[in-house]
Amino acid sequence: MELQHHQSPMDVFRPKKRSNVVCRIFDRQISSSASGTSVRYTRRFYENVVPDYTIYEVECPDQIYRKFTDDGQYLICFSRNHQDLIVYRPTWLSYSCKEDCNTNDLPPKAKKFESFFSQLYCVSLASSNDLICKDFFLYMGSNQFGIFATSTAQIHDALPVGGAVQGVPSIEKITFHLLRLEDGVVLDQKSFQNDFINLAHNMGVFLYDDLLAIVSLRYQTIHILQIRDSGNLVDVRSIGTFCREDDVLFLTSNTQTDLHQGQPSSDYCFLSGIKQRLLSFIFRGIWNEESDQSSRVQLLKKKFYFHFQDYVDLIIWKVQFLDRHHLLIKFGSVDGVVSRNVDHHRSFFAVYNMETTEIVAFYQNSADELYLLFEQFGDHFHATSRNSLYLNFTSSHSNNMHAREQLRSNKNKASSSSASSQFVKKVLASLPFSCQSESPSPYFDQSLFKFDEKSISPMDRHRPSPDQHIKFCLRRKPKVLKFKMKPGPEAGSTDNRTKRISSFLFHPFLPLALSIQQSMSLQPSVLNIHFRK
Amino acid sequence: MDPPPDCCAGPKGDNLYHWIATLFGPPGTPYHGGIYFLDITFPSDYPFKPPKVVFTTRIYHCNVDSNGNLSMEMLKDSWSPALTITKLLLAIRSIFTRPDPYNPLVPSIARLYLEDKAKHDELASEWTLRFAK
Repeated sequence: MELQHHQSPMDVFRPKKRSNVVCRIFDRQISSSASGTSVRYTRRFYENVVPDYTIYEVECPDQIYRKFTDDGQYLICFSRNHQDLIVYRPTWLSYSCKEDCNTNDLPPKAKKFESFFSQLYCVSLASSNDLICKDFFLYMGSNQFGIFATSTAQIHDALPVGGAVQGVPSIEKITFHLLRLEDGVVLDQKSFQNDFINLAHNMGVFLYDDLLAIVSLRYQTIHILQIRDSGNLVDVRSIGTFCREDDVLFLTSNTQTDLHQGQPSSDYCFLSGIKQRLLSFIFRGIWNEESDQSSRVQLLKKKFYFHFQDYVDLIIWKVQFLDRHHLLIKFGSVDGVVSRNVDHHRSFFAVYNMETTEIVAFYQNSADELYLLFEQFGDHFHATSRNSLYLNFTSSHSNNMHAREQLRSNKNKASSSSASSQFVKKVLASLPFSCQSESPSPYFDQSLFKFDEKSISPMDRHRPSPDQHIKFCLRRKPKVLKFKMKPGPEAGSTDNRTKRISSFLFHPFLPLALSIQQSMSLQPSVLNIHFRK
Repeated sequence: MDPPPDCCAGPKGDNLYHWIATLFGPPGTPYHGGIYFLDITFPSDYPFKPPKVVFTTRIYHCNVDSNGNLSMEMLKDSWSPALTITKLLLAIRSIFTRPDPYNPLVPSIARLYLEDKAKHDELASEWTLRFAK
């Protein structure tokens, strides 16, 4: 995908491309882009149209501003008490004034949240004892369905009953709500009782087309659900104890006659379906490494049997779809799930085919082989649904030479072998990807703009509020500063002691962004609107 | 001493009294294509007492009960301190090819094996496909 740098031989005879917007429009009429690059070519207009005007401290409702949907149709917000979902339609600012229209300032009436967003509805999702998880939201663009989650409080020292993993917290009830965003009607719900699903940043749930993968950490099961066009959530299969959807039925219908003999002993159990597949894959791999029988046995003793219990104790941490049949599953130890600092823990990646119930590949998190695959074919890990147009242009090191250069230079810095393995671990820590966690905004397209990734990135995260303006410079010549933005009050904050965090919500294609600055105290957050005046 | 082909065993971690054995389902049996993991626990008075062998992979077999416990003559009355792990693995491997339906742990499977071996093999290979891959 380096086509944007492809030059046709005709370019030699053309005058140098001009970056003035009028010239560009004129150029567009008389020349065409290299074949296959028309979208990239058109996107260069974003260099001229940028959100360079900021309205500071906009009067706005005190609520949690979550996200623009990836098609730009909706702005998702939650009420402060985590009870209600409030949905807005972004509208472009329009206003009228009687006189003084020639001044540079906007009339005060225009500087309101309502001038940019019109509220569609407000619905209550939570009941008396549960709350909306503000960090969770998935959008199914094809049907304009939204998926939200509500949950009760977390119990940390939960007893491991009924096959639950010890050391994983429990939540009494987690409910997923499927909503039609057009009118806010709840179409379906699905609840998990006494379970634990990592809802922060959509980590435990992945949406691909109409398939939803939900990871139950407590019961070590990947629930695959299908979202029907009718608005129903349908269980397709669960992967964990068993691999096929009818395994339980098969087992009960075949062992019924023998149930009277002896109760299943509680201290003993079979390997789960997914573990059996994993262990046999690892075993086969080591077995085939060596053809001489006695050295094979030594190798198996050292590399397989010695670590057998460690492999058995691995738990599923996170899952993503690679396509409709393949899942990328991350396995790790129980400690790694609970603790925040995951870097120290060994983890493994497995590619699993749901249809054939086979493990296709297995890597440790320091595997150079997986890193090289990720470096070259990174976009294959970014499984986006087929119909999400803008998401195809999210910059990654596989489709963008600037992002790749950055990655390579970081890699070269880690030259020693231990540093290199640390670097591989660090890069692979982003796998499996969290679903819909990157903004598709063209202002994050690294072939168009250059920005400091330490202070802003397309990743949907809160960051410490920057003291300085965040600058966006043109990537191409003349490489000048194009626009800058700053969360919080225009004058900066007077009190430097309180920690402030900020987040940015970029519209997927309009030159419009919101920045929200919150302080740890109970003060309402400060919302700035960045747009092109 | 070399272990027999298609099977292998080794101590689990650094505990010499707890071994894991792995057996490939032999070709020509309904267990072909499966990989079976077994727990072998040696009692403290080994080799004077036989080890305990448990399947941790589900298997449809008349000598393995619904909890995976394996029963065979060698692990009971005909145990001898002279028997090695290699011999034990060979014996376990032989139950794949020659089940012992006259001393069954699961009588219904044994009955099916004696009365309708085709049906038995069909079921057993379905189990292999589902649970032992």
